[in-house]
Amino acid sequence: MSETRFLSREALKALVAELVASHTAVVGPAAAGGPAIPGLEDRQPPTHKGIFGALEYREVHDADELRLGPGMPRLSLKQFFLPQSEDLFSWKQRGADVEITETPTRFNARVILGAKPCDAAALEIVDEVMNWEYADEPWNGRRAASTIFSLACGVEDLHCFCPSVGVTPDSTKGADGLFTPVDGGWLVEASTDKGRAFLEAHAAHFAEPPSDAGEEGAAFRAGALENVSENVKIDAVRVRDWVDGHFEDPFWATLGIRCNGCGACTMVCPTCHCFDIVDEEEGVGRGTRRRCWDTCQASKFTAHASGHNPRGDQIARYRQRITHKFAIYPIKFGEVLCTGCGRCVRTCQMGQNIGEILVAIDAYAQERAGDAAAADAVAVGDEKGEA
Amino acid sequence: MANLYQPQLATVTEVVDETVDTRTFRLEFRDEAFARDFTFRAGQFGEYSVFGAGESTFCIASPPTRDGYIECTVKAAGKVTAELRELNAGDTMGFRGPYGNWFPVDEWTGKDIVFIAGGIGLAPVRCVIWNVLDRRDEFGKVTIVYGARSVGDLVYKRELEEWAARDDVTLVTTVDPGGETPEWAGKVGFVTPVVEATAPSAENAVAVLCGPPIVVKLTLPVLAQLGFAPEAVFTTLENRMKCGVGKCGRCNIGPVYVCKDGPVFTAAQLKALPQEF
Repeated sequence: MSETRFLSREALKALVAELVASHTAVVGPAAAGGPAIPGLEDRQPPTHKGIFGALEYREVHDADELRLGPGMPRLSLKQFFLPQSEDLFSWKQRGADVEITETPTRFNARVILGAKPCDAAALEIVDEVMNWEYADEPWNGRRAASTIFSLACGVEDLHCFCPSVGVTPDSTKGADGLFTPVDGGWLVEASTDKGRAFLEAHAAHFAEPPSDAGEEGAAFRAGALENVSENVKIDAVRVRDWVDGHFEDPFWATLGIRCNGCGACTMVCPTCHCFDIVDEEEGVGRGTRRRCWDTCQASKFTAHASGHNPRGDQIARYRQRITHKFAIYPIKFGEVLCTGCGRCVRTCQMGQNIGEILVAIDAYAQERAGDAAAADAVAVGDEKGEA
Repeated sequence: MANLYQPQLATVTEVVDETVDTRTFRLEFRDEAFARDFTFRAGQFGEYSVFGAGESTFCIASPPTRDGYIECTVKAAGKVTAELRELNAGDTMGFRGPYGNWFPVDEWTGKDIVFIAGGIGLAPVRCVIWNVLDRRDEFGKVTIVYGARSVGDLVYKRELEEWAARDDVTLVTTVDPGGETPEWAGKVGFVTPVVEATAPSAENAVAVLCGPPIVVKLTLPVLAQLGFAPEAVFTTLENRMKCGVGKCGRCNIGPVYVCKDGPVFTAAQLKALPQEF
């Protein structure tokens, strides 16, 4: 971390205005559906995009639209790097020939202000698979074009569990810096060269922090960490080792049986990155190939054309979700594919709770280890008895 | 700059009807520089596309020892393959690849090689067979056991005749009971018992096996009985894929991604995988 600066509420307004004027897109948590109605900021009417009071990350044109406080945006930041649907290229048929139009992989500059630390961390985690031998240029292009400042989180509710999976409410993982709320504004620290360059380029808006702001910010951050640490107490390494070693176990059936395979958990997840590639015709002999979000929970996700399906039931598909997040990805890339944001828990209509599931797996792993140790002890005892 | 999901354009230069629903396409790349620099190893696969229908995953069925073109053999089964079947010489296809690992053919010099295939499983094996036959002097005995449901379902019929005529190849063909015609001169029976009866020697030998899951499952123990070590038995897996490059998240079998860690696996590696394929 570099030197801490202070950004007042007024200065934020000027900063956003300056960025917008320089054609840099500003994205942050804001009322779902569009700009707030002056005077009715807290009474945003329902829109087709969100429900009353819902937040979402979206482009803003004025700092007054930003909601840099409590509240979890409906969807994570994933959509800004792996859009729900994105063009890969377009084609046009000319007789037997085909003409291809490339889709650019360079993107306009964008600043994300007030990212949830769990959402920014997810980007750094997904960077691994997006660069596993082959570089995914659309993902990398959007990453390179974005400067991200996370907002130290005060913890939303009981479903937040970031420390259980190696993230903290004030993490700068995946971000270029951090905002911490204090009286009258935010303490701002840069954590990468990109973040430092941003603070330098816009230095006029940043001031010396008020004398007691440091203590206030530290207290906020410590309080949040203490608060969230009570949720979902597990040992992620023990969970990983059990999941890795128990592909066949009756325990999986107890989890998958509650899932109806809608896949909503994977859509709201900041780390789920599975996609489909489809051709969409736009008139006769022309169209666009697009990459769209897909879900491992869908029954046809792995179905072969022959009808054979390696993951033929929901129990197998739910096992895949848990195994991918908590064993396969950690083993392959050294990172848990989950940042503890809790969105899947809040979203699931069947009551699937990944926090409870992790606790249950951890308890089951310990219980089984205990049983095995007890069985060994009995066996040793028998041998002694015989001797 | 184009992204990694943008295919190379290729011209269909030849179409061979293998069976009622299976065709082999020969493709030549349009981009001269790409065509000149293109190399691959036996066992690798590609993402082939028909513009408007989408992409599908097939092995490269021609051997790397033949320059200037690649071939794929496609059975019409789903949306893309049904559209592919409609393509004719002169039409345009898309290709991304080569992707995945390969058969370690270079490590097999001096060894006998036993090829076993069922149905359209001969496509990836055919690539290795020609790769080996194009370098015939480097290897020992070559035995091919190939079976299909019926005589009409045998693919690469011209090549089967060619292999049968060679004195440096032992070819055994078989069709399932009821699948024979009055003129059929080959064996009648499932692939697995025919392998058992053929009893190729496992000494200083490797086996390459590909076919429907049931053929692979039943033949693996027979090869073990014949004395083939699990490390000397190679197969190639298929799983549904979209990206081919380890990102789209659907081809994994536990921690193993068929597109990146495969598609070629030894029987020893298969045994260590979760049984979900």
